Amino acid sequence: MKSDLWGRGIAAGAFAGLIGGALSAAVLSRLGSLPPTASLVRADAATAGFVLHVALGIVLGAGFGVLVWHQRAGAGETLFWGIAWGALWWFLGPLTLMSLLLLGFLAWDLHSAQEAFPTLLGYLLYGGVTGISLAVIRRERTPTGAARPGALIRGILAGTTGGVFLGVLLDAQGLLSGIPITMGSGLSGWPLIIVSGAVAGGGYALLYPRPPEGTGPGLIRGMVYGFCWWVVGSLIPSVARVVGEAGQAGPVQADFSMLPGYLLFGAATAVLYAWMDGLGRVLFSDMVPPRDTEGVGTEGLRALGRGAVAGLIGGTLFALVIVQIGGLSAMARLVGSTSIWGLIAQVLIAQAVGISYGFLFRRQSYDVGSGLGWGISYGFFWWVLGPLTLAPLFLGSAPRWRVEAAAELFPYLIGHLAFGAALGVTFHLLEARHNPWWIPRSEAEAARVALRREQVLTSAPALWAIVAAIALTLPVLLSR
Amino acid sequence: MSAQGLRASVAGLAGLPQGGAGVIPDLTAAAFIGAGFGLLFRYQPLAYAATISSGVLYGLLWWILGPLTLAPLLAGRGPTWTLPEASAALPSLVGHVVFGAITGLAFYVFVAAYVRRHSERTPVPDAPVPTTQIVILGGGFGGVSAAQRLEQLLARRPSTSIVLVSQSNYLLFTPMLAEVASSGLEAQHISAPVRAALPHTRFLRGEVEAIDVGGRTVTVRESASATAEMLPYDHLILALGSVPNFYGLPGLAQHAFTLKTLDDATRLRNHIIGLLEAADVERDEKRRRDLLTFVVAGGGFAGTEMVAELFDLVHGVLRYYPRVTPGEARFILVHSGARILPEISPALAEYAQRRLAARGIEFLLNARVAGASADGVRLSGQRRLPTRTLVWTAGNQPHPLLGTVPCDHASSGAVVADATLRVDGLERVWAVGDCAQIPDLNAEGRPCPPTAQHALRQGQVAAENVGAVLAGRAARPFRFRTIGTLVALGHRTAVAEIRGWKFSGFLAWLMWRTVYLSKLPGLEKKVRVALDWAIELFFPRDIVLTGSGPTPTLAQTIGAQRDETAPVASAGPEEGRA
Repeated sequence: MKSDLWGRGIAAGAFAGLIGGALSAAVLSRLGSLPPTASLVRADAATAGFVLHVALGIVLGAGFGVLVWHQRAGAGETLFWGIAWGALWWFLGPLTLMSLLLLGFLAWDLHSAQEAFPTLLGYLLYGGVTGISLAVIRRERTPTGAARPGALIRGILAGTTGGVFLGVLLDAQGLLSGIPITMGSGLSGWPLIIVSGAVAGGGYALLYPRPPEGTGPGLIRGMVYGFCWWVVGSLIPSVARVVGEAGQAGPVQADFSMLPGYLLFGAATAVLYAWMDGLGRVLFSDMVPPRDTEGVGTEGLRALGRGAVAGLIGGTLFALVIVQIGGLSAMARLVGSTSIWGLIAQVLIAQAVGISYGFLFRRQSYDVGSGLGWGISYGFFWWVLGPLTLAPLFLGSAPRWRVEAAAELFPYLIGHLAFGAALGVTFHLLEARHNPWWIPRSEAEAARVALRREQVLTSAPALWAIVAAIALTLPVLLSR
Repeated sequence: MSAQGLRASVAGLAGLPQGGAGVIPDLTAAAFIGAGFGLLFRYQPLAYAATISSGVLYGLLWWILGPLTLAPLLAGRGPTWTLPEASAALPSLVGHVVFGAITGLAFYVFVAAYVRRHSERTPVPDAPVPTTQIVILGGGFGGVSAAQRLEQLLARRPSTSIVLVSQSNYLLFTPMLAEVASSGLEAQHISAPVRAALPHTRFLRGEVEAIDVGGRTVTVRESASATAEMLPYDHLILALGSVPNFYGLPGLAQHAFTLKTLDDATRLRNHIIGLLEAADVERDEKRRRDLLTFVVAGGGFAGTEMVAELFDLVHGVLRYYPRVTPGEARFILVHSGARILPEISPALAEYAQRRLAARGIEFLLNARVAGASADGVRLSGQRRLPTRTLVWTAGNQPHPLLGTVPCDHASSGAVVADATLRVDGLERVWAVGDCAQIPDLNAEGRPCPPTAQHALRQGQVAAENVGAVLAGRAARPFRFRTIGTLVALGHRTAVAEIRGWKFSGFLAWLMWRTVYLSKLPGLEKKVRVALDWAIELFFPRDIVLTGSGPTPTLAQTIGAQRDETAPVASAGPEEGRA
């Protein structure tokens, strides 16, 4: 086991890192933003920078291989591990080690971070490509195999539907025609949205030939998947544009306005994909039901009750944040009444979201930590869906996917994260109160516990960290 | 690397005021925050990547909690969580990410080393072997509520196992049994499977053969042919309930119907419908009247509800039996006391009797059943009632097995327990429900009445007391005041007495249905019973006769025909079952 880890893990990781490093270096050098890495050896030559980048990629890839060797090996898992790994090294590399080595201080201030933002693109790209490469290298270890045509069709259908949703929301804001034309294709506007939706949906099906566990975790995965497409579809073009205009990498005013759209698109695609698969299984498959399901009626009503209680507690915390920042009047405007009604509406909405959390995430948290992870991710999802999208729609205007709106609503983001944290933890505690299934009392339950713990071996912990990092850093980094 | 990252980031971790603070407070704060990580993610199995990224998540949370929330609070101004403030705190964000990653990695390394060292000495089994066993005998209200409470109390103690032994694998909701007998409810709808209600309890369907208090074992046999199983116990909860008591009256054991189990209720319902079928073809008037005379013995809740339900059943389905005239059916309640329903106040009892008498139900008060035969009931005073139906609700006795337990017994045969529900003289045996005589502390020590509401609470208290004794604490006494009494009288009327408040008529009937529906165990069964009631509003009662009748099955009929035509045909497998 040990030699397996150190030998094959390092080798596979290094090889994956080589691919990731080469690909990201190629993209970065085309964008002209390699120099920051190259300056590590005080060489301005493009070739030296390229070689150094790839060499670093191999070293980091080897470390990556060791770290995720015992995790599940599917592409859907290692992709997100890779992105988390890349993002972590953006913090450790340009912001910490490189500036410490080159300049002798920690570049942890806003200005340096914004300056280094274009390199984040490289790190994310590197992480993603390394993750997928590692999955391909380790293919023989994954029994699930390739996506079947049925899954692919479902994925494309889900992606197309998600694309239509996205298009409607973008159209409402007049952003549809302004989508950057990617990769030199001649498409724009509606055709582009639908084609990219289908491609992204197909990609999701390739990542997950079987939909991942539960609708809720699938939604979070989809959201992070949407983030990946934002990096590819929106960040790269805008970095390219800045570089093209200024002739060198500078602070990028990346296209924040597209981010909420991509996140919602990814979430919708994943949920639709999971539901289509579920529907297909219910209608056309005669599989023996798993041992621990009690039926939607029993489980669902229990989840409803627990979700309502958890939503109430989370909503109270959220209301505290809102009162503290004086945001009650805005809420009241939404329901067209006074502050007290605004508060009541707030609590009711929180409860409704709590109930939906109960349905989507029942039996998905095995300890307080994972309750926290799912809860926070779900809270962030509702920040994007609520204040940024639905609230303006209810007030009769278009969604506000602008960086100024995000900046203005940053306190609400904190409120939503607090809400999600309280929601997830309370729900977990309620669920665990009577049925602490992490304690195996018999052989059958030991198997069930093992199944739950499997979650840690998927990329779930990476997802939580990525979502929290997106939520907290992007509005800050992209602000003017 | 790690030292630099740690020291630089720790300063702002918890939003403590920076500058001037030494390394020691910084590290103390970091240690506390790291301990929090261990607390939150303690059940997480060890994996490098998972622990590190959970650490990053944890670090990010502390960024919100520390620099964005605690720091402004400590500085004396409220947190605003605005973007400029967040931008200003960005340096510590990076610090928190680094800190979180290092915390996660360090957590992994330390815990993995610890586990490796200790797993060599004692391998940790996946399913821990229970060392303490609590055995509950009886699957009624008392037993099931005790097991449920124990599951809650001991959910986090895998060293303790709970075993429940019962003859039937369901919890029967007895208050609705009369409605099953009267075809108002489906039999299975008023019973909840014990296995579903108790996911962490080992359930054993079987007959208790012997209780060995000295050796602390219980002998259970699943069926007559099965081998007996010895169940050792550390604590034993007796919740065996009661069985009908015929007081040795002749013929009752053979001819009387009782109302204790689902089978009893179904048998009675089939019997009544069978009698109606027979009466419809019976030409002799005297014999038809005998067939249509229904006698209920006992004027308590059970008897009164039963006679009212029988009346509703017969009159509800009479339209299908055109040759039976409504006046022919007689319903007689025989009661030994001067008034029915001695459990409730005289005014309500009188109201109930008046309402039932107005419908045509006859009351024989101050009368006792002295014997029964296939075609009649003999009353005290040599009076005889020709009938084919005697429902016996006039006497119960605690389960006979209790006689073998070496302890004090009450005159009824119940084991005597103290106020903490512990059986007198036995350290580890507890008793709840009908099978125990428990002093009611709210009624100067008189025995608690044998009602479901008492059994339910006694079960919970017994479970709590077992939990307390296991934890080394003292047991607490059982204290409960009867909430109220509800008696359904059919025809959308009832009487109710709740904490001294009296209700009658339609309101009381609504209360009866609401209260008992809410008490019915299991959501699914609640939905089913509610649906049954809703259907009953719009459609007549069901008269489908199943089971007990001598009607041959279709397969048998076809088989017989085939036998007639082809005598060599071999007998089908059905024959053995017939």
